Amino acid sequence: MKKRGEFLFIEKNGDDYTLSMTPELQDDIGTSGFVEYTDADTIEAGDLILSVEASKTVLELDSPLAGKIVKRNEALINEPALLNSAKAEENWIITLTDVDEEAFNQLEEVKRYIS
Amino acid sequence: MDQEARLDYLTDYLLNEKTGATRTVVQPKRNTAQEKLALFRGLCNVRPPEPVTDEFITVQDAFLTQWNTERPLTALNDLEAAAPQIYVWQGDITSLAADVIVNAANSDFLGCTQANHECIDNIIHTRAGVELRLECDAVIKAQGRREPMGKAKMTKAYNLPADNIIHTVGPYIDARGVSPLKEKLLASSYRSCLALADEHGQSTIAFCCISTGEFNFPNKRAAEIAVQTTREYLNDSGSALNVIFNVFKDEDLYIYQTLLGMKE
Repeated sequence: MKKRGEFLFIEKNGDDYTLSMTPELQDDIGTSGFVEYTDADTIEAGDLILSVEASKTVLELDSPLAGKIVKRNEALINEPALLNSAKAEENWIITLTDVDEEAFNQLEEVKRYIS
Repeated sequence: MDQEARLDYLTDYLLNEKTGATRTVVQPKRNTAQEKLALFRGLCNVRPPEPVTDEFITVQDAFLTQWNTERPLTALNDLEAAAPQIYVWQGDITSLAADVIVNAANSDFLGCTQANHECIDNIIHTRAGVELRLECDAVIKAQGRREPMGKAKMTKAYNLPADNIIHTVGPYIDARGVSPLKEKLLASSYRSCLALADEHGQSTIAFCCISTGEFNFPNKRAAEIAVQTTREYLNDSGSALNVIFNVFKDEDLYIYQTLLGMKE
């Protein structure tokens, strides 16, 4: 199941929740040239997950959900432009566990998408 | 030294600095007091954040103090509230004697580097003095990366009549127009500034119209976000902050007066 929040997609697979870029966010920020992950392993909703410096903006991406970061897309560090990829397997940011399923259910649903 | 002698000293100092050697200021004449002032301003605008001598600071501070205070200053007491804790004032933000004025910064965070550019970041840095760029440089170096949109950082206001400056980078609107993310970032700029002012125990904050100048945010939508975000913040936090919406253009004055019910 896939939802959206904080301008990101959130895809649920069992206990894993993977956050990735939405096309709208990609449009808004332009080509990404630098990323830096938060050092925190456990985050609250609204906490910083990734600092991005892109051609059109410098901004901090915040997490739509609280949880524990179990995976980071390390490839982004050397190749920040992957954030602009159309493929979710390239533009994903982090995977969370220990997420409150109810909080996830309350996020906006994604009705149609191309994966 | 009178003001003109101070300007001569300051411009000579800046023209002889090695640091600015590669930059040129398009203002070669320095005959009248006005030309001297324009040259001084331009040289400060393009100057990299390198240390200056104590003597330079002394002369500069004396010049700026007089330049900044020889015009009418405005304080909260001079204003009438438009709503509880909310004020609207039209004028030059650098003549406001408030605890905090808000600067519309960019992500490089060093102030406007274009000589004599008519933007708020330029006039705030010019009238505050070169110390401001030095502090901003230290702040952004300590952060280790460029300043994100929607956040806020506080510095001293140096030679301005205000005590402190909160710098925020608002969203930039390009040809594709306003998006939900840009609206969120603008609201975030207002909220971050208010929260930071409270964190530092300030009692009055004066906002410029963030993002509406060089950053192209439509004035009316920006004002709606400014007023709504401020009202929500004051309500939710119970903050005692007095908030001045400082406008420069007549268009913005009209928009704020209408939004706050000051117009029939």
